[in-house]
Amino acid sequence: MAGTIRAQYPTSLRTVLVPCTGRVGSDLVMRAFGRGADGVIIVG
Amino acid sequence: MLEADRHENIEILSYSEVISVEGYIGNFRVKVKRKSRFVNEDKCTGCGSCTEVCPIYIPNYFDENLSARKCIDIAFAQAVPAISDIERNSCIECFACVDACDTEAIDFSQQDKIVELEVGTIIVATGWDLYQGDDYGYGIYENVITQIQLERIIAPNGPTLGHLIRPSDRKRPTRILFINCVGSRDLKTNEYCSVVCCNLSVKNSKLIMSEYPDSEIVVSYIDMRCAGKMYEEYYRRARDAGIIFIKGLIGKIEEDPLTKNLKVQFEPVGTDSIVEMEFHMVVLSSASLPSLGTKEIASVMNIEKTPDGFLKEAHARLDPINTKVPGIYLAGSCQGQKSIDLTVSQAKGAASSANIPMKNEKYTMELIRAQPLDERCAKCYKCIDACPYSAISVNENGLIQVDIISCRGCGICESLCPSKAIELAHYKDNQYVAYIDELLQIEE
Repeated sequence: MAGTIRAQYPTSLRTVLVPCTGRVGSDLVMRAFGRGADGVIIVG
Repeated sequence: MLEADRHENIEILSYSEVISVEGYIGNFRVKVKRKSRFVNEDKCTGCGSCTEVCPIYIPNYFDENLSARKCIDIAFAQAVPAISDIERNSCIECFACVDACDTEAIDFSQQDKIVELEVGTIIVATGWDLYQGDDYGYGIYENVITQIQLERIIAPNGPTLGHLIRPSDRKRPTRILFINCVGSRDLKTNEYCSVVCCNLSVKNSKLIMSEYPDSEIVVSYIDMRCAGKMYEEYYRRARDAGIIFIKGLIGKIEEDPLTKNLKVQFEPVGTDSIVEMEFHMVVLSSASLPSLGTKEIASVMNIEKTPDGFLKEAHARLDPINTKVPGIYLAGSCQGQKSIDLTVSQAKGAASSANIPMKNEKYTMELIRAQPLDERCAKCYKCIDACPYSAISVNENGLIQVDIISCRGCGICESLCPSKAIELAHYKDNQYVAYIDELLQIEE
């Protein structure tokens, strides 16, 4: 989405591709926090 | 319609309801409830001798309840197949029709039948229904009617044989007001635009004007949306013909109790004055709604709906014919309100789309599918309820099994499973964990 509208986003952002937002469970979100992420955005 | 009915490869099951759809593309098993007409379809010739003797009159649904039909009658003149049906709620069971019928087709003991079909692909074309709220006194004031009722009034085979008359005194209305966007483009009712009503107002007002040039016709609108090939020109010709288009919402409508005329108050946009006018008849361009039963058909077929209640396509811009379920396609207003030309385009597209996998006899699918890991399963069966495609079931050992053709690889089951007993091929939990760890390691 950010790509199609040519949006700029900070270099500190890391993207993880998922087949569907339903695939994202709390365990994966907590894993990211556990590894030091400041926030997690789930975008559909 | 008649041509389709005569085609050797087309079978029409009218007055029927789809009650269950199982299976997948190429192998759908469909159960259809054929509702009882109390008339034997094979014997009835549609001669109408039963209609002549029937003593009971009921409102005619096809004429928007503006005329009457007999309790036993053919649904409408062009109905295919032309077979009578009995409205049993109003029938007094005098059995006069049984005596009148030469072919002994009438059978009061007939029950609903369930027919099972095996089909390869399905096209949903369930159409739309009209919004019928009490806006602007509809249903309270006699001379406030909908566009569809007006369509029937001016139709040559309609209740008045095409003569323009108003319901209260059956005289010709000379001052007519059309109100657009009734029940649509309104946050209180339906947010969406019904697309066709602007052109419908232009068409009907122009028809009346050309037939009766002494008419005074006002069309009030929020925005005139006559987009599309030749529609803008059509709108211009309507203005040239003397029809008055006024931008502004109608504030108040009151009926004169004696003359049944309607006193209308409104404030045209761009002026600071409130205009009061009297009309003989008011025609509402009511919104179109998803047809009655769209909800049921969506749950039977496992297809999604958009927030407005219409059926959802696979992609609103790039894939407006397919649904998310392979082998099920959409055509017409069940997907969203559209004009006749777009409906025809979509219907032809749907027919071709359905024919491609049938002709190829092959269907390619991705391998991203859920896989159960039996040894870990705690048999909580949370995944069965969570699966939006009903792809998960229980086998004879109490363990879950995934139908890999119905599964769409969304992964909801994997993120939900407390004991990690189901995983999505190529998108497994440990793959994601490694992915996240690696991404966030670089940053440190």
